Amino acid sequence: MRPLTPQRIVGTCALLCGVLFVVCVISLRMGAYQISVRDIVSTLFNAATGRREEIPVEFWQVVFGLRLPRIALGVLVGASLSTAGAGFQALLRNPLADPYVLGVSSGAALGAIVSLILAPHTVGAIQMAAFVGAASTIAAVYFLGRRGGQLDSPTLLLAGIVAASFLSAIIMFLLTMVTGSELRSIAFWLMGDLTAPPPTTNVLGWLGFLFFVFLVAAGAMYTTSSDLNLILTGEQEAKHLGVNVNRVKFVVYIAASVLTGLAVSVSGAIGYVGLLVPHVMRMLFGTDYRMLIPTAAIGGAIAIVLADTLARTVVAPTELPVGAMTALAGAPVFIYLMRRRMR
Amino acid sequence: MQAAAAVPRQAPGFKRAMKFVTDETGRRVAIPFSVQRIVTLAPDLTETVYALGLEDKLAADTTFCDTPAAAKWKPHIGSPQTPSLEAIVAMHPDLVLATTSINRPETADALLRLGISVYTSDPHTVRGMLDSIARMADLMGANEQGTALVAQLKARLDAVHARMAELPLVHVLFVVWEDPLITIGQNTFIADALRWAGAESVIVADQNWPQVSMEEIVRLQPEYILFTENHSESNGDHELNRLRTRPGWKALQAIQMGHMVRVDDEITKPSPGLVGAIEQIARALHPDVFSSGARRESFETQGRMMTELFANVGCERECDFCAL
Repeated sequence: MRPLTPQRIVGTCALLCGVLFVVCVISLRMGAYQISVRDIVSTLFNAATGRREEIPVEFWQVVFGLRLPRIALGVLVGASLSTAGAGFQALLRNPLADPYVLGVSSGAALGAIVSLILAPHTVGAIQMAAFVGAASTIAAVYFLGRRGGQLDSPTLLLAGIVAASFLSAIIMFLLTMVTGSELRSIAFWLMGDLTAPPPTTNVLGWLGFLFFVFLVAAGAMYTTSSDLNLILTGEQEAKHLGVNVNRVKFVVYIAASVLTGLAVSVSGAIGYVGLLVPHVMRMLFGTDYRMLIPTAAIGGAIAIVLADTLARTVVAPTELPVGAMTALAGAPVFIYLMRRRMR
Repeated sequence: MQAAAAVPRQAPGFKRAMKFVTDETGRRVAIPFSVQRIVTLAPDLTETVYALGLEDKLAADTTFCDTPAAAKWKPHIGSPQTPSLEAIVAMHPDLVLATTSINRPETADALLRLGISVYTSDPHTVRGMLDSIARMADLMGANEQGTALVAQLKARLDAVHARMAELPLVHVLFVVWEDPLITIGQNTFIADALRWAGAESVIVADQNWPQVSMEEIVRLQPEYILFTENHSESNGDHELNRLRTRPGWKALQAIQMGHMVRVDDEITKPSPGLVGAIEQIARALHPDVFSSGARRESFETQGRMMTELFANVGCERECDFCAL
């Protein structure tokens, strides 16, 4: 195998970014509302040159009000979940680990449900409460998962699984207290859904904030990528080679949890992407975390934008929850790649 | 989509004359004075639009809308819970009607964010449904049709009510879903519709669609079991025979005695058709009151009831159930 050079990482990422761009363009073009590529280009051009008055209202509504925010959100959620998945798989040294394995999504779901019961019509309450729920679960699992003052992978995994089932039980109990219309919101939320409107009218600022948080968390995780490679060969070996294992684990744990909390709070629990995309990227580009973290991020974005485009179009005008689409399309792709590699 | 293409695109700066109203969920929404293109997000709303004779203004409805049959041939914008917002935009609606009984609040929020007028109705009682119809008729510029429709529905309800007034309520189990057994809560409009029909659910729950145990039903022994038509596609006798062999169900006296009513699907929708379903249930539960022989016998009682009814007209606006 060729040695991993910065050029190769940048080249691969550029290639994947190209694919992501194409997928985004396709997503922008497809939908229940028929709009030609020319109209999209002229809409974007007029918007970029500040001539908003020349854009027909419904083009503005469809392109800037609906499709672009949704694509941007898909990119963000996909990249976050997939990066978090790659992080948790290294941290727990378990190929089945995903962003939800440590109970983060259950914590976020509990927060969302509590907010729906207490303040059902407050805009933005669900997102805030989901993030608080995710953050508290992260903290609780972190303290439960330590042994002898250190983060111990098996203990952490057990603590996470116990926390997840405990929180799910509370959710089940609370669901009996919720009436019709809130129950509907929760059901969509639990499946993963990108259709909810952003909690503020300043969509651009909101997305900018989310992307900033993503870049900080993913960047923090990337600084540990060389050390993660060593930890994956064994914690003792990594320690002997001078890796500060505890620090690395702490950084990865916090970064991956923040990414999960971020994704869950804006889109609900979208499954499969965090588990599958890192594995697919390992099969395609190797297991080196210096390569895996950026490729997983871009790959996750591609996966969600594609899945959401399909969710919007296969049974149009009705829409499918994006979570159903990721599982439906993700599983066969994964099996195909796995079988091909075994041959 | 073809219909949408024929509509000239509005210039972005174009402002229509708008009025501000508070919808039934407390949202403050701007609605054009003159509504020409309506999109409905639920079957009951579609039915109301047709009942008001406004079908020409209905640009699109949902894939669930099948009453009246003509509603099926309108363009669809998706299902009530997962409509395509783009498809709604493509219809150029100047009013979108939504309801809390099936739509998600997120849909209305997203449409309002796009600058599309949305009115959300939130009926919890039969009377609330009538008020809601009147308000929506007013918004759609059909004040007179609305008043006439509501008056006609009220008269039919009052006629049922008059016959029921002195009868004790029949205790029923309304089956929303058989397995697991899901019934209605006391705050649903279905529970209210049952009271109009002279019936009362044996289950008292704050939840709208509570799941209850069969044991509890056996203990409460409802006098009648009510199913909706879409629940049992097969004929009623077949359904009854099937339940007679099921554990739990066969222990119910109502099932043993064949006290099972298949209610028109309209009972599940807070729409004008609900009144028909109320009449149907009332007839099924109190056949003696509605049969013509019985009517002759109780002619005197009825006359007295009608007098009372007219005397009570003023009171009806005050309370939901003066007689109960």
